[in-house]
Amino acid sequence: MSIEPAFLSVQGVSYTYDDGSDVLSEIDWTIPAGGFYSLVGRSGCGKTTLLKLAAGLLQPTSGQVRIEAQTVAGPSQKIGFVFQTPALLEWLPVLDNVLLPISLHRRVQPEDRASALELLDLVGIGDLAGRYPGQLSGGQQSRAALARALIGSPPALLMDEPFAALDAITREELQDDLLRLVALRRTTVLFVTHDIAEAVYLSDRVAVMDRGRIALAAAIDLPRPRGGDCRYDPQFAGHCQRIRSAMAQAQAVAA
Amino acid sequence: MIGRHLPSLALLLVLLAGWEAIVRLAGISALVVPAPSAVATVLWDGLTVGFLWPHIWITAAETLMGFGLGCVVGFVCGVALGESERLRHLLWPYVLATQVVPKLALGPIFIIWFGFGMTSTVVITALICFFPLLENTMTGLQAASPEKRDLFRMLGAGRWQTLVRLKIPSGLPVVMAGVRVAIVLALVGAVVGEFIGSGKGLGASIIAAQGMMDSTLMFALFVAITAMGLLFYQLTLLFERWLLRGWLKGKVS
Repeated sequence: MSIEPAFLSVQGVSYTYDDGSDVLSEIDWTIPAGGFYSLVGRSGCGKTTLLKLAAGLLQPTSGQVRIEAQTVAGPSQKIGFVFQTPALLEWLPVLDNVLLPISLHRRVQPEDRASALELLDLVGIGDLAGRYPGQLSGGQQSRAALARALIGSPPALLMDEPFAALDAITREELQDDLLRLVALRRTTVLFVTHDIAEAVYLSDRVAVMDRGRIALAAAIDLPRPRGGDCRYDPQFAGHCQRIRSAMAQAQAVAA
Repeated sequence: MIGRHLPSLALLLVLLAGWEAIVRLAGISALVVPAPSAVATVLWDGLTVGFLWPHIWITAAETLMGFGLGCVVGFVCGVALGESERLRHLLWPYVLATQVVPKLALGPIFIIWFGFGMTSTVVITALICFFPLLENTMTGLQAASPEKRDLFRMLGAGRWQTLVRLKIPSGLPVVMAGVRVAIVLALVGAVVGEFIGSGKGLGASIIAAQGMMDSTLMFALFVAITAMGLLFYQLTLLFERWLLRGWLKGKVS
């Protein structure tokens, strides 16, 4: 793992709101190419801010965010972003929603259409390409949003609690599909969630964030591919417990 | 479809029958309230003999031209003010002031500027339609969620693309609500505009009928205006359903 080149590196990054309150202070973190890293933490701990800094949607007050050794100065086409809500455009059919990242920059070619349909197949909603977003269930909308994030084959995905609003079964299905897809494409992923089990199940490494700092960074050495059984493994429970106690401890210090 | 409208149609018949009965039994003068049957006869004559048609066409043309002009200008100004905060701060008080002025009070000055006839009425109608479009467009442009704006930033969309491909489509339901208000106001504007500034059209005919003390003709004109208004409103609804078919499809399931 450690010999892999860093894909995303965050060096001494701080972020301060306009009113002077710190959101992030002196964060150092690197993600190797192809790694699946998660950020967990309670609401307001700064995890979404860190994700937006990595995406280039926000600029750090100090420090640097680099992607493949280049400083991130703004949103980059190398990154697919998946939001908390699917954020699909209601007036476009699913296929056109998936093609949006392309149609914003150039005319859509037949091969783009083909690759969008293939992606929709991969995320399991190939037969819904002609539907409008309002006709899809929550899980299907999340799948469409995932396909849209993957359409330009970006080397990295940034995901902001994408499955938080789904029911438990749908969420597990989407987690498995996500793991399969990113393994297939060797996509680097930075995943933000408040669900400890989700973070452990998906990730190579989980960082616990608390009040703008990384309180714990834990390697998850569970074997891949991970199936449903792995969730009931004692090792899995051990990882969850460690992360949970780190979160609780951080909170106790705060209290 | 027909079954749903049956009760209101029945109510209409009951009301008309009651009206007819009261007028006949109480012997109310046709000058005060004419009987529905008399109104229907006058209306039928007007349509078959044809003296109503030129007035109908003129009022329809004024309504649609004023509506079209007011909607286009209102929409464009709404986009400009919605996009530029500086422009909004600069111009909003003036826009508001021009809308608080009763537009019909401007009728006499328009007659001086544009002459007696169609142009004055079209300008009044356009002014009336302008505001609902302006306001609803400004509001509609803010409808896109922050996440969708972030999405467009992530995808490297420029300001123009974000406007045309995100903000305007997101705001369309709100804009169309303004269009529906405008079409109703447009007919009112055209008819009342004719009261003061025109010798032709259904509104001008009402004034003429008043001069002849012909209440039955006035009622026939009301019916023609109402029918025209309902028709325009239904056409607007159809257009809206077609335009917003993506949203509506989502709502059906």
